[in-house]
Amino acid sequence: MRHSLSKALTVFSAIAALSLSAWAVKVGDPAPDFTGTDSHGQTHKLSEYRGKYVVLEWTNNGCPFTRKHYTSGNMQNLQKQWTAKGVVWLTVLSSAPGEQGYMTASAENAYLQKVNADPTAALLDPTGAIGHQYDAKTTPDMYVIDPSGKLIYAGAIDDHATTDPSDIPNSKNYVSQALTEAMAGQQVAITYTRPYGCSVKYQGD
Amino acid sequence: MSLKNGTMPLRRFHSLYARHSALYAASLILLLAALPQRSPAQAHATLTAPHVTVSLLVPPAQIYPGQSFTAGLDFRMEDGWHVYWTNAGDSGEPPTADWKLPPGVTASPLQFPPPKRLPLGPLMDFGYEDEVVFPIPVQVAANFNPSDAQTALAAHITWLVCREVCIPGKGDLRLERAALAAPPASPQTDAAAQSLIAKFQSQLPKPLPSTDTATFSPTPKGFLLDVTTGSKTSSAQFFPLDETVIANAAPQPAQATPNGVQLTLTKDENLQATPQKLNGLLELPDGTAYEIHATPGTIATSTTAAPPTDFGSILGAAGLAFIGGILLNLMPCVFPVLFIKGLALVQSSQHERHKLRAHGWVYTLGILVSFWIVVAILVILRAAGQQLGWGFQFQSPTFLALMALLLFFLGLALAGQFEIGLSLTSAGGSLAQKQGYAGSFFTGVLAMVVATPCTAPFMGAAIGYALSHSIAVSFAVFTALALGLALPYLALAYFPGWARVLPKPGAWMEVLKQAVSIPIFATVIWLVWVFAQIAGTTALTGLLAAFLLLAIAGWFLGRWPGKAAAATIALVFLVLAAVTPIWSVRMFSAPRSFVVAGVVGNEQPATTWQPFTPALVAQSRAQGKAVFIDFTASWCLSCQVNERLILNRADVQQRLRDSGAVLIRADWTNQDPDITRTLAALGRSGVPTYALYPADPNAPAHVLPEVLTPGIVMNALNSLPATNRQSATLSRPITH
Repeated sequence: MRHSLSKALTVFSAIAALSLSAWAVKVGDPAPDFTGTDSHGQTHKLSEYRGKYVVLEWTNNGCPFTRKHYTSGNMQNLQKQWTAKGVVWLTVLSSAPGEQGYMTASAENAYLQKVNADPTAALLDPTGAIGHQYDAKTTPDMYVIDPSGKLIYAGAIDDHATTDPSDIPNSKNYVSQALTEAMAGQQVAITYTRPYGCSVKYQGD
Repeated sequence: MSLKNGTMPLRRFHSLYARHSALYAASLILLLAALPQRSPAQAHATLTAPHVTVSLLVPPAQIYPGQSFTAGLDFRMEDGWHVYWTNAGDSGEPPTADWKLPPGVTASPLQFPPPKRLPLGPLMDFGYEDEVVFPIPVQVAANFNPSDAQTALAAHITWLVCREVCIPGKGDLRLERAALAAPPASPQTDAAAQSLIAKFQSQLPKPLPSTDTATFSPTPKGFLLDVTTGSKTSSAQFFPLDETVIANAAPQPAQATPNGVQLTLTKDENLQATPQKLNGLLELPDGTAYEIHATPGTIATSTTAAPPTDFGSILGAAGLAFIGGILLNLMPCVFPVLFIKGLALVQSSQHERHKLRAHGWVYTLGILVSFWIVVAILVILRAAGQQLGWGFQFQSPTFLALMALLLFFLGLALAGQFEIGLSLTSAGGSLAQKQGYAGSFFTGVLAMVVATPCTAPFMGAAIGYALSHSIAVSFAVFTALALGLALPYLALAYFPGWARVLPKPGAWMEVLKQAVSIPIFATVIWLVWVFAQIAGTTALTGLLAAFLLLAIAGWFLGRWPGKAAAATIALVFLVLAAVTPIWSVRMFSAPRSFVVAGVVGNEQPATTWQPFTPALVAQSRAQGKAVFIDFTASWCLSCQVNERLILNRADVQQRLRDSGAVLIRADWTNQDPDITRTLAALGRSGVPTYALYPADPNAPAHVLPEVLTPGIVMNALNSLPATNRQSATLSRPITH
């Protein structure tokens, strides 16, 4: 009887846990599907990119951590390097209007051109819907999704949580590492790290 | 210009220029690091950056051999701005200091006072607002030999200061001090700087006193952290020292334990394996902070199966208890009471009905109060048991012995050796015959008292459950049980006609009562067997003697029912019976030698299971062998069933031998802490657990279901890479 009592409790708490974690993203699980509009007005649906690797990059061009990777050209190089290998690179802007990093479509296009950035698309997410779906915490916060739609990496862009561009040559880039390993058919060694940077400037913060 | 103002025009113009200029201004100011101050009395060097002023504090005016002092790094923030703790939380970075010190002078790392939780929408950062001083212990070597009369202490500081936006900062701070070759007769100190440092030094986390413990156990959602601090505390905050272990933003419901506090922590969604230790600060409401390194363990007595605040669990347990309470009415001891009362209701006149309903409620109250008294006794028992160092669990031989004795005694009563609580019943009976509401109240009490002996299996389960849970859960369970017990009578008070369908009390009740004693005695056998495994056969003799003492006590009660002298003698025997096994456990409890039983009468050579040690697992895997661990305990019935019916099957045994896997049996009967840790690492908190570790030390273990089938075991073994079945030696290092 004692046993059945604890069994029943286990079931109860499992249900409670499931209902609470409905929105959290877990490496190894299918990446949540979303539809977003980019700075050219085109819509992108994640599930349409099945069969390709997808990188999600949360950005805020006023954030010094993001700027580290753009003023040094590091982010643009990653975008060029991996989109050339067929990777879909989606930059996501989840800053709310009035907050740092919020961009209108035309301002974002001008910015992309000015810094010579080359993502597949820059998704404008001023409501933070996609950001909340992925529980994106910082800028930059990086996610790598494999061709089957499974999340294979989430976290920091590299292992130097600083704003100093001179650290970049000595940094281990987790995104490149995950993509390299996954494309070679290997297990991704580092699947999750603490993302570093400024907090995402969501609406209502 | 500050970024605070700079963000305003962005809303409309999205002016890149404005934003960039703010950052450039910020960097420019940082480059204007404070110039070295020449005055020897200068207590601090300061640099002013956007939204923050950073100062280096060095209280002593002279630096000399053998000296030790505490320097400080002082951050003063503008309103709303903050810097970060050593683990910044979801975003942000802590300050750093890179020292340039004269030879012989060494500075320890920054010490971090307890931070504040800084919520940012869905995120949670840990940091400081207004002002914080990071104390820095500095040592001067005994052979410190200055070449000049002055020496410079300098540091390159970096930080991140944030409000809605973040501004990184860096700069150099440098202070000159008189350098002496020997300790001065009168050392000079800047008292203001020293007291400011001391103020923050006093807030620094202390190590947990050696008499206190910090334990954690995994739960489906995270961890239960139990810290004893010497005093009952109902709120506390945990700040994790390690990143990506707990969900920073999740609330941390706290619950008081008799001498500490228990927190329910939510784990980081992406946590891969249970950590070896849970490291962090525990901050109490009075501001005291302890640095804790909690180790895995079973969290005793308070909450094991479910966190106390899990409302769903309490509801589930209460629901089951409610149904159980209704069923109690069918038990032979209760049913006659219900029947007689029911008949009285049928015979009652219409105008009495209204009054009878009120009596029904008073009867309910009587039951409720009796059950609440039981809860109060349980709470006291649990607190007392904890002080004596007993755990109310099946690993405690004393608990086992007392449970076995209680059930044996109740079994004797049910089988008919004596009538339990006859004097109680008669006393209660006379009270219950009183007219008016007092009579109804005591009928309720009586129902509870007379119900006890023949409802022992159910009550035992409820009591066991309550002993291992919080007061709130115990209260909910027993209240529901009481309401369930009261419900049928209450229903009859409203619908007396229903009494007609009740079967007549009669001999069938006596037969039922006696039959109930059989499963009780079966339970006693199981408890005795477990006891023998834990305490050894010498201590077992003590327990068996105690059964004899109980039988004698029962004989006195049955032979001379209701006689005070007989009851007194019986009581003496009862006390002796309770004391004997406790004493024999203390005296004779042998180090257990648990022999793994093979199948009785089995002609197969038994597979060799080696006893568990963490080293054996690591060593076997380092040698390229897979490892299969059977986590078991002699008190765990399903473990025995799995072993007998599945693991000992000839074909399964053959497959286990062929697999080349090292077979290890981890016997948790005595709750070995190494095994507890290994279980926790698998995300499990109990047995049965079956885990197959591939030879590759980096590969995760495969945990099999609790209920085994031959197919499950064989499929798991088949999934091993082929190399595991050979004895290939891999020279991979074991990484932890």
